Amino acid sequence: MLKFLKQVGDYAKEAVQAGRYIGQGLSVTFDHMQRRPVTVQYPYEKLIPSERFRGRIHFEFDKCISCEVCVRVCPINLPVVDWEFDKASKKKNLKHYSIDFGVCIFCGNCVEYCPTNCLSMTEEYDLCTYDRHQLNYDNVALGRLPYKVTDDPMVTPLRELVYLPKGVTSPHDLPANTRGAGLHPEELVEQQEK
Amino acid sequence: MNLAEGVQLVSFAILAVMMIGSALGVVLFSNIVYSAFLLAGVFVSISGIYLLLNADFVATAQILIYVGAVNVLILFAIMLVNKREDFKPLPNAWVRPTMTAIVSAGLFVLLSTMVLVTPWAYSTESVSSDTTIVLIGQHFFSDFLLPFELASVLLLMAMVGAIILARREFLPDQVITPDKQQQPVLTLPERPRELVGISSDKTSNLDDSRRSE
Amino acid sequence: MTTGIDLQGSFIKSLIDLGLPAGAAKAVWMPVPMVLMLIGATVGVLVTIWQERKISAAAQQRIGPEFMGPFGLLSPVADGIKFVFKEDIIPAKSDPWLFTLGPIIVVLPVFLSYLIVPFGENLAVTNVATGVFLWIALSSVQPIGLLMSGYASNNKYSLLGGLRAAAQSISYEIPLALAVLAVVMMSNSLSSIDIVEQQSGYGIFGWNVWRQPIGFLIFWISALAECERMPFDLPEAEEELVAGYQTEYSGMKFALYYVASYVNLVLSALLVTVLYLGGWESPIPIELLAGWLGISETSPWLEIADASLGITMTVLKAYFLVFTAILLRWTVPRVRIDQLLDLGWKFLLPVSLANLLLTAALKLAFPAAFGG
Repeated sequence: MLKFLKQVGDYAKEAVQAGRYIGQGLSVTFDHMQRRPVTVQYPYEKLIPSERFRGRIHFEFDKCISCEVCVRVCPINLPVVDWEFDKASKKKNLKHYSIDFGVCIFCGNCVEYCPTNCLSMTEEYDLCTYDRHQLNYDNVALGRLPYKVTDDPMVTPLRELVYLPKGVTSPHDLPANTRGAGLHPEELVEQQEK
Repeated sequence: MNLAEGVQLVSFAILAVMMIGSALGVVLFSNIVYSAFLLAGVFVSISGIYLLLNADFVATAQILIYVGAVNVLILFAIMLVNKREDFKPLPNAWVRPTMTAIVSAGLFVLLSTMVLVTPWAYSTESVSSDTTIVLIGQHFFSDFLLPFELASVLLLMAMVGAIILARREFLPDQVITPDKQQQPVLTLPERPRELVGISSDKTSNLDDSRRSE
Repeated sequence: MTTGIDLQGSFIKSLIDLGLPAGAAKAVWMPVPMVLMLIGATVGVLVTIWQERKISAAAQQRIGPEFMGPFGLLSPVADGIKFVFKEDIIPAKSDPWLFTLGPIIVVLPVFLSYLIVPFGENLAVTNVATGVFLWIALSSVQPIGLLMSGYASNNKYSLLGGLRAAAQSISYEIPLALAVLAVVMMSNSLSSIDIVEQQSGYGIFGWNVWRQPIGFLIFWISALAECERMPFDLPEAEEELVAGYQTEYSGMKFALYYVASYVNLVLSALLVTVLYLGGWESPIPIELLAGWLGISETSPWLEIADASLGITMTVLKAYFLVFTAILLRWTVPRVRIDQLLDLGWKFLLPVSLANLLLTAALKLAFPAAFGG
């Protein structure tokens, strides 16, 4: 009988404990409700991509020497380099160049290894089309410069979390010249030189 | 005839047609699931007729117990044991329906003569619907005490039986003996159940270990 | 107690004054509260859906609906319009009759249950003597509709979902009924109006929560399980069963399920309000306030204020409970089916029986406080 009572008591204790845990969880959820939403209203507000952002690849046709290094370093040999050997000048004559961004993984190897720096990364990330074949950019499309988020009059640019002052989590309504946490690269260089 | 009587008559007609129709459907449908669903229709119409008789508590209880419990259990049974089987055409299959029809007709005749012969002594004074529950309670604990208690004992027996079936105290030997460790494929091993007395110190051990963590 | 306003009496009287016969006047009155209640329930659902979206968004630090109307208030309306215009698909090899009948059977009892919800002393559709018992009986009809649609969809996930739903609502109906029984025992009546009257007089201290704390918790947990709300939403568990019995439904039929689930939630919240939170009573009794302000209890505008305060109080309390349900949704993870049945049969049932016993004992011991 005593054992049974003890069991009932233990059970009741466990039930109360479970109830307290649920109450704790509820208080956490309730606390979250009072925080400011972190939503970025995308087409109207956009985050400013960071400096080393790997977006759509930009290609400069005139700089390219058709060496095909980009094809060789690419994990899937993606860039298509269409060239012809010009016997008169003994040089490769580039006819077409294209990258399919529906297949590209934006690893940046081609940009890294390009000997003439004709490939570079942009900060364009919204590559949306109605057909996946439209993502196959030819040299003309690759040569276009993207709109900068900060220049677009339709868009409110917002800073990413890393570029906000210490303790601030919301990029909304920040004064224009507030400094982010930590030192800027040029300041780091200055420190190094001292 | 005023509004209330007209409504009563019309709803009685609707309920009666609904009840007889769905009862016929229960018997005549070859798909057993339809029969089970139509049974719910029969019960609901019966409760409607109770409602017309000013027995609102009985009507509600009818819906709760027959529609909400009995019929759902029937449906459960049908849906959990839904085994498709091809039936072979039986020779002399007409014998069974005929027998059933004869027995049912006999029962119907018997009951209707009973209805006609019995001198129904129903009181015309209407019972206020507020007091039906009180009246039912008084009857349960005075002149209908024995049937009430018998019904409760019957239900208790059913419950005890169900618990014994579900608990399965007598485990087969092969689970307990250690040499027969190998379980048949694709079955879960049955866990030996702990009795009330044994498990209490186990839980306290668990509690201790939890505290030490 | 003031008798409040007799809407029915004055409505019929004004119609008779207009020259209608008495019977016709009554017949004109009859559909009015029902239609009002239907509209009220539908509007309540729209508000609840909006509230759910906004509160869910807030709990996840999002904004939620914003552009459809002020604060996204029109998003549930947009939903409704979308459902109306969607194609109504009946899948091949399904059972078209049962498939159509299923959602109807699920929706009907929920709306019927609004019969017994009182918003004031004379502001209920009817004062049914069987009251809360009627609600319990009607809510027990729902699993038949769920089983029906699960079976008719000709989809194994639907069937599993339907069976789960039926099992769940059967097992949680019993603790629910036992918790109600304890309250009924204290008020000596099944009528929802009598239950509220019994809690009146002492403001917030007269409410049944203080006398029935265990019953309150049991009732709210079981009611959430009956509504298939988040910790107990196994029948439509998306990760396991796609959407349970709703998988094959689209258009208006799906909308019926959607509406039924939210109406059921609001109804449960309203009934918790009636049974445990004093219904239309305000936390400070209005007679006391009137006494402080020196207003006579029988002045007509006080009665109007009382009635509107009653409606406001009922709705406020109900929506507070809906709020806790939504908060709970984002706090507690879904339980497994065995945990669900364990909780229902091995925890809530014994505890509610003990609660009933305790209430009976307290009623015998302190008949003054526990309605002797």
